Amino acid sequence: MRRWLMRLMFGLAATCTLTPMPSMGQTAATPPYTPPRTPDGHPDLQGIWQVLNTAAWDIEDHGASLGVPAGHGVVEGGAIPYQPAALAKKKQNFEQRATLDPESKCYLPGVPRITYMPYPFQIIQQADKVSIAFEYVRAIRYIYMNGNPHPPGPIDWWMGDSRGRWEGNTLVVDVIHFHDRNWLDRAGNFYSDAAHVVERYTPTSPNHLLYEVTIEDPKVFTRPWKMSMPLYRRQERNSELLEYQCPAYLLEQEWDKPGTTFFDKR
Amino acid sequence: MGHRILAVATTLTVALWIVILTPGPAAGQAFWAKDTPKLPMAKTWLAQKAKLPPYSPPRTPDGVPDLQGVWGGAGGDGTSYLEDHEFVDVTTPAQESFVSDPPDGKVPYTPWALARRNEILAGLGRGWPGESGERLYSSPSAFCLNFMPRAGGFEGQEIVQKPGSVIMLSGIGYRVIPTDGRPHISQNVKTWFGNSRGHWEGDTLVIETTSLNGKGWFDSTGHFYSENTRFIERLRLVDANTIDYELTVEDPTIYTRPWKMNFPKRRAGTAQRGPAPLRNAIAIPNAPATKDPYASELWEVACYEGNIEGPADIRDLGFKWFKGVTPPK
Repeated sequence: MRRWLMRLMFGLAATCTLTPMPSMGQTAATPPYTPPRTPDGHPDLQGIWQVLNTAAWDIEDHGASLGVPAGHGVVEGGAIPYQPAALAKKKQNFEQRATLDPESKCYLPGVPRITYMPYPFQIIQQADKVSIAFEYVRAIRYIYMNGNPHPPGPIDWWMGDSRGRWEGNTLVVDVIHFHDRNWLDRAGNFYSDAAHVVERYTPTSPNHLLYEVTIEDPKVFTRPWKMSMPLYRRQERNSELLEYQCPAYLLEQEWDKPGTTFFDKR
Repeated sequence: MGHRILAVATTLTVALWIVILTPGPAAGQAFWAKDTPKLPMAKTWLAQKAKLPPYSPPRTPDGVPDLQGVWGGAGGDGTSYLEDHEFVDVTTPAQESFVSDPPDGKVPYTPWALARRNEILAGLGRGWPGESGERLYSSPSAFCLNFMPRAGGFEGQEIVQKPGSVIMLSGIGYRVIPTDGRPHISQNVKTWFGNSRGHWEGDTLVIETTSLNGKGWFDSTGHFYSENTRFIERLRLVDANTIDYELTVEDPTIYTRPWKMNFPKRRAGTAQRGPAPLRNAIAIPNAPATKDPYASELWEVACYEGNIEGPADIRDLGFKWFKGVTPPK
């Protein structure tokens, strides 16, 4: 009995000595997280997720203004590498954002914008596709993983055409076939119909995904650039997607107060 | 010959104008010939169902019936007109009622609600017999809005089952139905799809939906429910490729009794392609698969975004916004 106890204590002591303890401010040594698997054997990213940042208002660093919380940007390197003409258009977009922002018209917000809007979304995995259901306008993205390549274009879609693959524990989604009216936030940042978006969803803990997006667009930017942010699993036991039927609210307002929406300004 | 072509062209032009000017289902709009045999719905389905041998559905690893797969919708003329009717116009051919109970196929409105329903019918502004001449309400579907039960129950969808939930995916949206026993959200919350909770009763998936905002219609002719309405859907496999879809509607504020609709949902690829009247009526197992690799994919619809001139046009025609009915206390 005593020998058994001694052995256990010695074993515990050895484990403590040999296991590297994370020191203050040390994150690089964190062992990679191994996510649970779906019955298909892929990393299980399913559940309800949401960002906890201000990228919906502005993906670059920004101060506060009425109705806009201040925030650090999510763009790596700080600034988006616009071409000069595109930067001028971005500034114009910002000035006229109240009328030009597609979100103000309740349009489908495009990818990646819909991911970091202040509404939850749910990831649903099947063998042939990963589906993302959004509370915002009940939008749904089908990310096909059935072996089909992007269909031949040109196709003008609000949400683009998404094709996925697994790289280790990361879901990599290749998105093309956009139209030229999508914005990236409420500050007028934008891309064009030539945009090529690559998203990476990497589980970093049971309750966090790292969301990374690379955007390439030779019509708008001088080089590919990247944004990244964590996605948080909603912890509320009763969490479920509810409803934000933006077009319905806008239509009802137009009938209640004629002339107050863009419908009148055809 | 020339006259015939002209006649056809004129008919098409008129039909096109009806579609442009008439609030109705814009997506998937079909034109129906006057001599189209009556489309089958509840009555035909109940007769077919009565002759089916007992069926024991396969089970998921969780031990519940496996309803997974891609399923068609109600078919017919696209929920143009809920009750039994003869040919009205090219959008609305003769069709049996969706209503299986009461047996007369009529929605059992209270007298107040029936008067309101008749008022809406007379104000559709579609050039139909018996109209008042006033344009009252346009179908909410004309604005590309999606709501129960048209978008969530009557349309086709893929059913996915996960531990604790049943998920329905379609080209125009989704439903996530918890089956983990959680309570409904507050009845003060009112939404277009309502708040759905599912459970299993034997081989049947039972889905109760509350918190409806009562602004949606059952069809394009203004058959309505209210914000007090409760939907109970029952989905049961009656053979390998057919779900019996039953929707019970309860609302003592506008109906004299609970009432039911029934139709079959056929597994994708098994419903008969062929003469329109027979579509969805007969299941053909092992129908040849298409060679298009993208055929099974759901692609972006963006109905609202593509119809942005519609709302102002509809309003300019004088139609009001349907805010739901308020029955007298």
